[in-house]
Amino acid sequence: MLTIIIRAIVIYLIVLFLFRIMGKRQLGQMQPFELVLTLIIADLATIPMAEVAVPVLHGIVPLFTLVILHFILTVVTRWSPAISSFLSGKPVIVINPKGIDYNAMKKLNISVDDILESMRGLGYFSLEDVEYAIMETNGKLSVLPKAEKAPATNESVKAKVDPATIPVNLISEGKLMKNNLPVAEVDESFVADFIKDKAGAKSFKEVLVMTIDKNGSVFLQTKKGQRQTFENVRKA
Amino acid sequence: MKIFSEIMVGLMFLFLIGISIGEDYVVTASLKQSMNDCLYLESLVQGESLLTEEISLAVDDLEYHWANNESGMCFLVNHKNIQEIGTEISKIKAYQLENELTEFRASIESIKSYSQSYLHFMGASLHNVF
Repeated sequence: MLTIIIRAIVIYLIVLFLFRIMGKRQLGQMQPFELVLTLIIADLATIPMAEVAVPVLHGIVPLFTLVILHFILTVVTRWSPAISSFLSGKPVIVINPKGIDYNAMKKLNISVDDILESMRGLGYFSLEDVEYAIMETNGKLSVLPKAEKAPATNESVKAKVDPATIPVNLISEGKLMKNNLPVAEVDESFVADFIKDKAGAKSFKEVLVMTIDKNGSVFLQTKKGQRQTFENVRKA
Repeated sequence: MKIFSEIMVGLMFLFLIGISIGEDYVVTASLKQSMNDCLYLESLVQGESLLTEEISLAVDDLEYHWANNESGMCFLVNHKNIQEIGTEISKIKAYQLENELTEFRASIESIKSYSQSYLHFMGASLHNVF
């Protein structure tokens, strides 16, 4: 049993390491050859994990081979658009200003229901709202709405807004994120004073989450309290 | 991260080359040794009796060499594929003590046959791949 436990840990670490090398892609974002690779890796990894007579190398060698193959295919697809379109396919326009392209639908082997479902997932419930819809090579639908149905933007309504900034997490579940302090241009004493003044928290442990952005907007919530937001906070 | 990935892929490639060469070397050397031990044992079995010191030492050598080689081979090949040789060696020891000549010879033939067929199974030929 101990052998199986150790083998499981070894294989898990190797597969985890291989996926890190392969890059960050979620299942829905995979190209066909990447999906095939992932399915095979999952299956290969389980064989030496449970079968003690099979050397761990019998699992590792095919895994390494597939990762090298994946690496080569990635380089080749980057280098040659023709091979890329052969391996991954091409984006196909399924809705154009004339309506649904039936031939494209047949080619992709999808139904009207599939298109409507993907559209709903993107927030478009009517075919009339859509000017173009493109089925991407990873199986996701991209939609360009009709101009009159497109969501209003600050630019289109000529609204004056502050530049967008990314909130930086300062406290997460009672832990001060020290690495983020220089990014947010604040120090530890500022955070400690702020949570004491605004939420009555005596220590970081009492805070569930605290974020701050470049514009000085702070989001603060203690573990026992409700959320609070503060604008134009002056950083010390 | 990209350079790290490329280095790791390169190392994996070298690892695969190393393990392929290593496997070929270890398995071929181990099986050839048991084949040679068996051939030597066969050459010693001339008369009707197996209860000689020479045969006894040769059987011990066969067992000792196999025990050493098997542990190295288990890193590389499925243990089930090679366990028959160990079983036959155990039988050989028993047959030698009981002076059962026919069974003794049959077991030697079995080991030669297993070794020969596994050597044939080794390596990347079209036959093996498909």
